[in-house]
Amino acid sequence: MIKKPEDFDLGEKKIRMLLAGPPGIGKSTLAMSAPAPLLIDTDGGFDRVEFMYRKDRLVATSYQEMLDDLQPQNLKDYQTLVIDTAGKMQAYMSAWAIANDAKNGQRGGALSQRGYGAIKREFNRLIDYMFVTLQKNIIVICHSVEEKEDDVVKQRLKLEGGFKNDVWEPMDLGGFIEIQGKDRVLSLANTEKHFGKCTHGLKPAYLIPDLSAGGENRFLTDLFAEYNAVNAAEARQIEEAKAFYRAAMDGGRMLISQVKDADTANETFPLLGKLEHRLTSEREIKAEWVMKMNELGLIFDKASGKYVQGVKA
Amino acid sequence: MAYLMTHSLLGAWLRSMKENPFEEGDDPEKETPMQEFLHVLRREKTPTSPAMQSGIDFEDLVTAILTGQPNANYHSTSKDGTQTLKVYAVPEHPWFNAASRVAEQIQGAKLQLVAKKPIVIEGMEFLLYGRLDALKEGRIFDIKYSGSYERGKFIESTQHPMYYKLVPEIMNFTYIISNGYDVWTEVYWFDQIPRIEPVIRDFIQWLQEVNLLETYKQYWGAKDER
Repeated sequence: MIKKPEDFDLGEKKIRMLLAGPPGIGKSTLAMSAPAPLLIDTDGGFDRVEFMYRKDRLVATSYQEMLDDLQPQNLKDYQTLVIDTAGKMQAYMSAWAIANDAKNGQRGGALSQRGYGAIKREFNRLIDYMFVTLQKNIIVICHSVEEKEDDVVKQRLKLEGGFKNDVWEPMDLGGFIEIQGKDRVLSLANTEKHFGKCTHGLKPAYLIPDLSAGGENRFLTDLFAEYNAVNAAEARQIEEAKAFYRAAMDGGRMLISQVKDADTANETFPLLGKLEHRLTSEREIKAEWVMKMNELGLIFDKASGKYVQGVKA
Repeated sequence: MAYLMTHSLLGAWLRSMKENPFEEGDDPEKETPMQEFLHVLRREKTPTSPAMQSGIDFEDLVTAILTGQPNANYHSTSKDGTQTLKVYAVPEHPWFNAASRVAEQIQGAKLQLVAKKPIVIEGMEFLLYGRLDALKEGRIFDIKYSGSYERGKFIESTQHPMYYKLVPEIMNFTYIISNGYDVWTEVYWFDQIPRIEPVIRDFIQWLQEVNLLETYKQYWGAKDER
């Protein structure tokens, strides 16, 4: 299906989110607040979810077993797939990768460099499968660890090797759950303490509702709705700006293409100033103009205020 | 008289402020962050380190792919730090796949565009200066080579605040990071980018306090660079 830019609509976009925090802070319970979740329980975190907030779960003791269960016919009732946790998933994936090809491992069972490459590709394939083929929201839960650097206590993902970088790449949203005073806060911003991933327009941090007195667990359902509303509005604004940008670039390039010598440069130059610019079009067209002047060997004579033939570049 | 201000200068200063700036590390031959900053402050040429050379080689390879050049350099570094230059046909280069993915992202961008902007902070005139790796459709891209990248590495960099001040019409600033094999991105939207002015203000105050302001003025006059 071919769609025009103006048909752009992110209103129903599925969301990929990374949810990190120290053990016991409530990541699994928070993940259960997403729309119609299925918990892919790789590390037995289900027991830590309070009974009234528990949802269906997929129990797998190996990566292959999990893949076998992740079939479209099994997943009709679910809108969100929750991987709990990424660290355990990485361990399962590592064993799977080594079993598939011994070169992915080293003696002692650790991954080889090639093995890290293999699980990176497999992780991206899995996320694409869940997101594009199955059309599900995805939440990847990850434990964090504290590291002290320059007197600042920083939160880092508890993952092995380059996987701690790779896991962020496909995500739309990501953040750390932190305790601030008596409150739990989901921080999506980049701070000196941790990295985050937040779409333009969302708040940098959200107070997580206290469920100790009961209440509906729907924080992420609401956040996803907010994300989609903000993102759809933002996408329309960006598309509009890009349409102006493209028009300015096309118009500017057409004018520049007509310049053959000093006379046509002097005729054309004032017309460039009449273009309606957006984003970086003015700066880019100016750069193309300078390049053209250099090609033709034209220089700007300040005394006469006109381009004249100079030494050809 | 205006004075040049670059993110490299501010970055070198901030690095020197992170720990005890005069404390020597385990390697007595390695310069302290303060010594490194003073080289930058005095605009002294320093030898190209293996890490810097890898960054140059990687960026040159991306440019070679974008502009259709046939060959590109590759400096391998042995354990004792000796560098050996090899010249590869571009598709045979060990970093070709990663560099191609970077090139794909910046295809059609203006490369190495210079941006300048005069500003005044507490009565002192500055000319902010930056060279943009790539500019396209409201986005600045900066290519980084890093052998030990960890996500969030650039959160505290002065580069995106400086470049946003220089090119305020951008939507975002994107670092494209590679170790020659993998490629990652860190995107900073305009509303997440802190202002650069407070950093410059602190820097100038610090230079005054340690009697280095005259050194800065001596080496960073912007008379000929407007």
